[in-house]
Amino acid sequence: MAGEVVTLQLGHYAGCVGAHWWGLQRCPPEGTELSHAALLRAGRDGCTPRLIALELKGGVGPLGRGGARPEPLAAWRGDVANYAEPGTGTALRDRGQRPGDASADADCGSGAPGEGAAPSAGSSTQLWSDYLSVQLHPRSIYVLQQYNHDGDSGRLEAFGQGEKLLQDASCMEELEDRLHFYAEECDYLQGFQVLCDLHDGFSGVGAKVTEVLQDEYSRKGILTWGLTPVTHTVADSQKNFYRVLNAALGIVHLSAHSSLFCPLSLSGSLGIKPQPPIEFPYVNYDASLNYHSSAVLAAALDTLTVPYRLCSSRGSMMHLAEMLSFSGRKVVAAWAAVPFPAVRGHSLPDALCAHQQDVPWKLLSSCKEQKVSRCFAQSVVLRGVCKESPTSCPGQQPPSPLHACETAEQVLQYYLHTAFPGAFSASHVLEQPCVTLPPYPRIFSPLLSRQGFLPDDLSSYSAAAVESIPVLTSLQSSPVLRTLLCDLCKDLQKLGTRRCASFFAAGVEEDDFHEALQELRTLSQCYQMGFEADNSEDESDSD
Amino acid sequence: MGALGLPLCGVQRRACVRGGGGGGGGGGEFRLNWLLRGESVLYPLPSGEEPPNTLPDPPQHSSLPFSEQIQHPTASLIAKVATAQDDITGDGTTSNVLIIGELLKQADLYISEGLHPRIVAEGFEIAKEKALEVLEQVKVTKEMDRETLIDVAKTSLRTKVHTELADILTEAVVDSVLAVRKPGEPIDLHMVEIMEMKHKSETDTTLIRGLVLDHGARHPDMKKRVEDAYILTCNVSLEYEKTEVSAGFFYKSAEEREKLVKAERKFIEDRVSKIIDLKRRVCGDSDKGFIVINQKGIDPFSLDALAKEGIVALRRAKRRNMERLTLACGGTAMNSVEDLTPDCLGHAGLVYEYTLGEEKYTFIEKCDNPRSVTLLIRGPNKHTLTQIKDAVRDGLRAVKNAIEDGCVIPGAGALEVAVANALVKHKPNVKGRAQLGVQAFADALLIIPKVLAQNSGYDPQETLVKVQAEHAESGQLTGVDLNTGEPMVAAAAGIWDNYNVKKQLLHSCTVIASNILLVDEIMRAGMSSLKG
Repeated sequence: MAGEVVTLQLGHYAGCVGAHWWGLQRCPPEGTELSHAALLRAGRDGCTPRLIALELKGGVGPLGRGGARPEPLAAWRGDVANYAEPGTGTALRDRGQRPGDASADADCGSGAPGEGAAPSAGSSTQLWSDYLSVQLHPRSIYVLQQYNHDGDSGRLEAFGQGEKLLQDASCMEELEDRLHFYAEECDYLQGFQVLCDLHDGFSGVGAKVTEVLQDEYSRKGILTWGLTPVTHTVADSQKNFYRVLNAALGIVHLSAHSSLFCPLSLSGSLGIKPQPPIEFPYVNYDASLNYHSSAVLAAALDTLTVPYRLCSSRGSMMHLAEMLSFSGRKVVAAWAAVPFPAVRGHSLPDALCAHQQDVPWKLLSSCKEQKVSRCFAQSVVLRGVCKESPTSCPGQQPPSPLHACETAEQVLQYYLHTAFPGAFSASHVLEQPCVTLPPYPRIFSPLLSRQGFLPDDLSSYSAAAVESIPVLTSLQSSPVLRTLLCDLCKDLQKLGTRRCASFFAAGVEEDDFHEALQELRTLSQCYQMGFEADNSEDESDSD
Repeated sequence: MGALGLPLCGVQRRACVRGGGGGGGGGGEFRLNWLLRGESVLYPLPSGEEPPNTLPDPPQHSSLPFSEQIQHPTASLIAKVATAQDDITGDGTTSNVLIIGELLKQADLYISEGLHPRIVAEGFEIAKEKALEVLEQVKVTKEMDRETLIDVAKTSLRTKVHTELADILTEAVVDSVLAVRKPGEPIDLHMVEIMEMKHKSETDTTLIRGLVLDHGARHPDMKKRVEDAYILTCNVSLEYEKTEVSAGFFYKSAEEREKLVKAERKFIEDRVSKIIDLKRRVCGDSDKGFIVINQKGIDPFSLDALAKEGIVALRRAKRRNMERLTLACGGTAMNSVEDLTPDCLGHAGLVYEYTLGEEKYTFIEKCDNPRSVTLLIRGPNKHTLTQIKDAVRDGLRAVKNAIEDGCVIPGAGALEVAVANALVKHKPNVKGRAQLGVQAFADALLIIPKVLAQNSGYDPQETLVKVQAEHAESGQLTGVDLNTGEPMVAAAAGIWDNYNVKKQLLHSCTVIASNILLVDEIMRAGMSSLKG
């Protein structure tokens, strides 16, 4: 039985990813391997995520479809009459209420009329509350009235502003009360997962929040995901500088206060120069839409967090963090194959054999990929592939060593061992795939079948909506991060403090900035491989 | 209304007033128009059913940060003054807004006739000195007994909530401040915990001489009600978790593994048994209760062990409640179970759990000598709760101010009438055109009794004249009786305002109004030179 986890969503993009993520967990297939109690709390009337979401004014729309529960009528002693609104919405709401309910599952499978279509990627998906499909507890959404989500003025732009927000006593008290509400009822609280926007002032909010968590709940795991939306074209250089500064300060502070920190984004780069967004072979998503990009991240996130949500395992968030953050490497990189390219009918060894040379995943941590696949430690999760039993019959010579392994775990373990010799790899294999029902966007290539597999012969494909996909992810402590952190350092140095005077006026002292820069550099040195010949990089660092 | 277009004059209308160009009319529209470029302002005003004895304050704690959102420079400046006023004294924010607005309006009358703002500002300065003198003269120094404090609190609270509720809150507020007051030390209002409960109606708000925690015991066998209980406050982890040193498990067989896990568990069990020992020692065979309130977690196994011994255990108490707990019940908060003695235990006469829907509350009441108390606010909805909470905060501040000042000022507009009267008398002693500034100041102050009269539905001018006549005749401090619209002696009616609120008001309003006038002059000069 997995311990309980409290989730915090700080910022709008975190809200987008979160909304999809809660949607993915809505209707699991039979025989659940993942524990619901880990992330959801069973209240008096149905399950709600154990969630605190911080948003700015105007960032949350009316929570019509799922949304906040109506206020409990505990104090009312008179008669109660219920009036249900007919039409759309109710079916989805029912699904959200009973995630394990069989009838709800059947409902999902057949696709109720009028419900089957994903919201079109237009005006209806501007805010994450538009595609939130589960109900939230009334204590979940906390709207910060001091700043506006949209508009020209009153934006939460700088790290310092975010920090200051939580120095306000009443704001802090409110947050502590909400944390307390969720934490107090947990029997075996294992930790907190913080989804935090890195690109705006919420990185400062995150810095403070994680500090509070570390302070108040010592010895609990804090797993922080630094999220950034795909950067659009650089129109406003000032804004771009702010983004880089926020991200850098965020990484330094968040990693310092968390057990494990992972930057997660589809954007190609965190630095000043934008890079094209990451592309997946079987996904056609519109990078400019948060609705799309956050959906991809949510699928990855749902899989990455499997190790501490399993019903069977005793692994906790703290175990995962300790395994990966060995010798100060608190920043990790995330890799994912969304969907994992597997041909229908093929077994797991077959599927992995097809990728002997190159692991088919992409790096989700805004950094240029390196061809050399090396890492210090990793936690790999593969889900949704191994339903088919190995095809090899006893007596026959197995076509590859992979086919000789008995269990799916062993197959994956063996495969990782050959792909990453010398690295410590923990692996989990799950039967249940990632369920991508609406409001998950239809972003998958038409080649994919309903279950997200590739057809055996490319000519025949059904244009059916993809209902579930196999996913492969890895959380890696890898030398790639050195490049990421070093590049960020160089960018900051180039930027200097003078060009963003207003940023520093918002609360960050110049000394703090230089200290952060130093820490970033120290952090990056943790990821140096002993035998790496990158003296040239060192030289450029020292100047 | 003046050409200054100050949205705040609209307070008189008791409605949401759009600011910016709301002024209109008058000769001086050119002036301050640099200030009017900002966007409109919404100034929400409370509308209680009962006419207040003094001015209504805007709902502060929730909406004062809105000063950051006001774009209109003047309005934003004034809102900031109101925020500052709230920070320093906790009351008088609306008066502040009103007086500044009125000062500008009165000044504008003279300035549009050609008087230089500098001279008006000089007049204001002289008038302020005189007003402060009057304030010193009329202040009433008396012993701050419960009666006086109740009057002070009542004056403040009746402007914020309706009378019936105000009277309930008044007693609760005064008693709570008196409970946490320690002779010779400044009053720490943090020791009055304000607890919200969405339940029943607002008149069920009460003062709890003890503490209310918004969580309960998590074990079904623990008692819901304990009388005459020892209280152990501690900050000790009673849950099995992985130890900090990342020691891997090295084991060969399932039994060995079990053994290791047991050894780890033993650690926690030892702690629990120490607490149980203490309970046995102090309670013995008597039927006294024993409560453990822990800041860290307690896992189900430990809860079970404690429940078997008849101990009620609460986990994850809030940090800010830990200090209050020891103040309310006595005893000391323990950071380890090694040196537990009966001395570190607190005591409460009654501890009980109250369940409300999904939420549980634990009341720790009947403490012997509570140094920390709880105001339990009840109300049917969030809005009412916030309203009461704000009112209670202001009430607490008012009582605290009165105790710290050691003196009070008659309210209901009496001070303003007296000051205006004194200023008019003082005017001939002022040389030159600065007299006009003094006159403007005197007129501006009268906005307070005028608004009071208007808010209670009387003709402002008629009431004002009556009050002024009464004041001149009797020489006593006369204010507006809001129930009759007639003059009354404020002190006799028990309407008292805080001394430091009034003092702060006179200071800040004068400074800000003068500055706005002078800056306006400079801006105008700058603009005309640009044109030329």
